[in-house]
Amino acid sequence: MGRFFRDIKKYYKYAIYSGRAGLKAEVANSRLSWLWWILDPLLFMIIYWFLSQIVFGQRTRYYMVFVFIGLNMWDFFQKSIVTNVRVVTNNSSIVTKVYLPKFILVLIEMFKYGFRMAIAFGLVGVMMILYRVRITWKILFVLPIFFTLFLLVFGISCIVAHFGVFIEDLQNVAAVGMRLLFYISGVFYEIEPKLKGISRIPGTLADIMIQWNPISFLITQCREALIYAGNINLTMLCFWMAVGFLLSAIGVFLIYKYEKDYVKVI
Amino acid sequence: MDDRKNAIEVEDVHLSYQCLQAFPLRKSIFSLKKSKVEKYEALRGISFGVKKGEIVGVIGRNGSGKSTLLKAIAGIFAPDQGTITLATPSVSLLSIGVGFQRKLTGRENVMLSGMLLGFSEQQILEKMDEIIEFAEIGSFIDRPVKTYSSGMFSKLAFSITAVLETDIMLIDEILSVGDTKFKKKSYEKMKELIFDKNRTVMIVSHNPDTVRQLCTSVLWIHEGKVRMQGDVETVLEAYEGEA
Repeated sequence: MGRFFRDIKKYYKYAIYSGRAGLKAEVANSRLSWLWWILDPLLFMIIYWFLSQIVFGQRTRYYMVFVFIGLNMWDFFQKSIVTNVRVVTNNSSIVTKVYLPKFILVLIEMFKYGFRMAIAFGLVGVMMILYRVRITWKILFVLPIFFTLFLLVFGISCIVAHFGVFIEDLQNVAAVGMRLLFYISGVFYEIEPKLKGISRIPGTLADIMIQWNPISFLITQCREALIYAGNINLTMLCFWMAVGFLLSAIGVFLIYKYEKDYVKVI
Repeated sequence: MDDRKNAIEVEDVHLSYQCLQAFPLRKSIFSLKKSKVEKYEALRGISFGVKKGEIVGVIGRNGSGKSTLLKAIAGIFAPDQGTITLATPSVSLLSIGVGFQRKLTGRENVMLSGMLLGFSEQQILEKMDEIIEFAEIGSFIDRPVKTYSSGMFSKLAFSITAVLETDIMLIDEILSVGDTKFKKKSYEKMKELIFDKNRTVMIVSHNPDTVRQLCTSVLWIHEGKVRMQGDVETVLEAYEGEA
């Protein structure tokens, strides 16, 4: 534990600088530069709006904001985890030359996607104003919700980063798994409709889909806090936060225990 | 008697490579029998000490464990058994271009590489002008590294490691880079760094002349063990006699 915090203190500046440099390199030759970080989810939002509201005739309050929150949180979750499967191998030029705790590489990737999410969430604020969403004190719950999201992503990413060194096709498995998870996480549809309407998902199954799928749960809670001023399920939030701590501890432990073997494999 | 403190203390260090390879998931699911992992012991109980300010040449055949030893001292590998104690945390394994990103400018890469080598933002900024001047790349420093010629790339990469000095320097055969003129300049710079009395240096080299010119003592590694340690001529004579 002490070693983890000492390493964080020692390398956090490098992590931030490297993350910033990575973001800069990403948009270096792009004409629209960082606007792509907003345009990407924005364009997908329009597609899902068309499919959900026009083709399937669903009626969801503040749908644009609803789907934009879901897409941004999902993108951070999915991209961070899938990228981190190969993070050690992709940084072989660094890890074979200097010692760097490998979870710092995980944090660098999370910083990049986290920054992109933060930029895109700026647009959520604009949309909330345009939709005249009623803002209540419950908006404060976004802090523990995002903290839990970061913990879970960090924990899962560290674990997959460890196994990704040894298992070549883990990234393919992660990509397929994420695609499946995307469709059952209610990113672009309501698992339990708020407005009167027919729910195609039975109540018990809907409960399971929301409560026991961490990303689905966090997206739902974030929407409740930001746009619906609904009740936050604090018990489940604490549960997922504890799971996040546990996964992070396991991930960091695995990395510390085996990181000296990574160089021998890559 | 030499009463200087040891800057590097290596005690009974064992380090094995499990001949691990990344494998496909299919293999791990369908192979019911646990595959036997082959072990290769690169270091087999190495013990030695290096005094502060000493310049040690590390010699030995290919595969004898020289580079592994340097990487273990640099902290890239952790020993399976035994201890490595350093008098200072300021240690670097000389490697050029570590952490470079080709889309970023030279200046940004200096920061990135320097921080990765363990220097603070402030320390790097203080040395920035010296690095740029030594690298002789002028206004190219603010252009993306991908626009550099290979010579310019190595000059900048070398300058970072040469100017950002550490108390313990581990060198694995890299002594000079670039064109003939810069080669000479970089070799001189390396000599200047190596001969600094406050710096402890370990140099892996296959060239006996280099060892004679630069080192104050020699460590001969053979099949992962210390075969001999002592003054330059005695050890080199024994080594050359056997080869």
